[in-house]
Amino acid sequence: MCLRMMEMTPARLGGWTKRSIFPVLGAGLFLWSAAPARATGTGQSIEKQFKITGRPVVVIHNVANGRIEVKSWKNSEVDVVGTQSSNKVGFDIEQVGDRIDVTATILDAGAQPLELEANLQLTVPEETELQLKTETGLIYVEQVMGDMKLESYAGDVHLKEVSGYIIVKTTGGSLICAQCAGKLDFSSIGGNAQILQPQLNNVNLMTTTGNILFDGDFVRTGLYSMKSGKGLVEVRFSSTDSFDLKAQTATGVVDNQASAFLKPDSHGVKHIASKFTHGLFGTVGMGLAKVELSSYSGTIRIMKRD
Amino acid sequence: MQCKDLELVLEQEGLEPLPEEARAHLAECRDCRNYIADLTSLVDAAKRLPSEITPPDRVWISLRAQLEAEGIIRTPAETVPAESASWWQSISAFFRNRVVASAMVGILIAAGAVFQIRSDRAAPALDPPKSVQTPPPHAIQEVPAGEFAGTAQALNDQEPVATGMILASTSPVDVSLRDNLKKVNEFIADCERHLKEQPQDELTREYLSAAYQQKAELLSAMIERGRSIN
Repeated sequence: MCLRMMEMTPARLGGWTKRSIFPVLGAGLFLWSAAPARATGTGQSIEKQFKITGRPVVVIHNVANGRIEVKSWKNSEVDVVGTQSSNKVGFDIEQVGDRIDVTATILDAGAQPLELEANLQLTVPEETELQLKTETGLIYVEQVMGDMKLESYAGDVHLKEVSGYIIVKTTGGSLICAQCAGKLDFSSIGGNAQILQPQLNNVNLMTTTGNILFDGDFVRTGLYSMKSGKGLVEVRFSSTDSFDLKAQTATGVVDNQASAFLKPDSHGVKHIASKFTHGLFGTVGMGLAKVELSSYSGTIRIMKRD
Repeated sequence: MQCKDLELVLEQEGLEPLPEEARAHLAECRDCRNYIADLTSLVDAAKRLPSEITPPDRVWISLRAQLEAEGIIRTPAETVPAESASWWQSISAFFRNRVVASAMVGILIAAGAVFQIRSDRAAPALDPPKSVQTPPPHAIQEVPAGEFAGTAQALNDQEPVATGMILASTSPVDVSLRDNLKKVNEFIADCERHLKEQPQDELTREYLSAAYQQKAELLSAMIERGRSIN
């Protein structure tokens, strides 16, 4: 049961390799010598700062309970503050070139949940890539530009004024994304998703039992897909928006509260819903963006904002 | 020959043997010599990388779910009755070790997928291979018929192992995982019921496929957490 890695040949390399990456690789290898730091203690905190030369990549894996907070500043440094409730949790913090790895580890598997709390507060340059993984605590990211992958089992994810390719994956945690820009992928089983005042041009939201709320503008030429198995899918658009709408549900209902603004498709394409689904097709404005809403048994609600 | 021509030669033919024209260009062009040196060092570094990685169990389960969802592989829903109690007891004793059990389930799923693909390829020339496709002996639990039968069976087999590994845990994460597994199971049951009534409903089929994938990931997460706890 193994995957064999693709054999790397010069012929393949030649297509994508540019000479400019070699100095970067060399610098990365040179900086690899940075020694890892480990901190343990009872109810104490650790703070470390790392100088970076380019766009940093911050990787956090918090296997303890706790919150991860990431904010930005103008400095070319990554500041990490970790606090822990007991000496049964430890932090491993390591710099490899412009990559900062932070891992909160459980040192005593027999510890009580209250003893396993580890909070992390990071301040990073505005342009930073993030990979954050936690179990129960909140992930909060504010004013960071860069691709980010945020994973949580039970914790919520709150994003404010972030941009880039944003991937959020939770089991039961919910997402609130306020004034986000770029591309957003969200998948969850029980979590809700609230997208507020976005400037997103590509959105994929999927939850099995959670609710979805999209309250904001659809960027022209944007693609938006929102799916909930059992939950409510609600879209609030403005009268200046321009999008084609396709809403389908297998056993739920489509609640169209914007019929005055929704015209039949203006591009000459006649949409017919499957005989097994309840569907609604229409166009707002010129129909420049594409919006697809679907549910299995949940309600789909379309309404115009005040 | 120009620098661009040399890059083209490298893309098409690799590092060696270089044609005469390319070698002549290299003798005169320092940039290209540096380029070749960089490429050579990269290739050497690549050769030193580990050649194999072992993917987590969820990859195999998700792969199987996806293959079944796309109709590439199919598993018949027929099951065989359990055999003698003593034989079964020896199997279950073996499976008491949770790590071994989860590894075995992963192996069975992968082996099943490979076997299924091979038998599907051979199907036009052979009689229906029902007698050949013997499901694992512990596969006596009733599973839904249809294209998702194999996935449902594999996940049903794995579910007691996965839930058992975090059964005693009261941590919020494990409580959340169990809660969400229940939600997914209810949703799957709902979709299966609906598909029995309306087998042509593609939208429901999409949701069912996604739910099985979510369940596979959930079980995998439970097993991984169980391993770290135990």
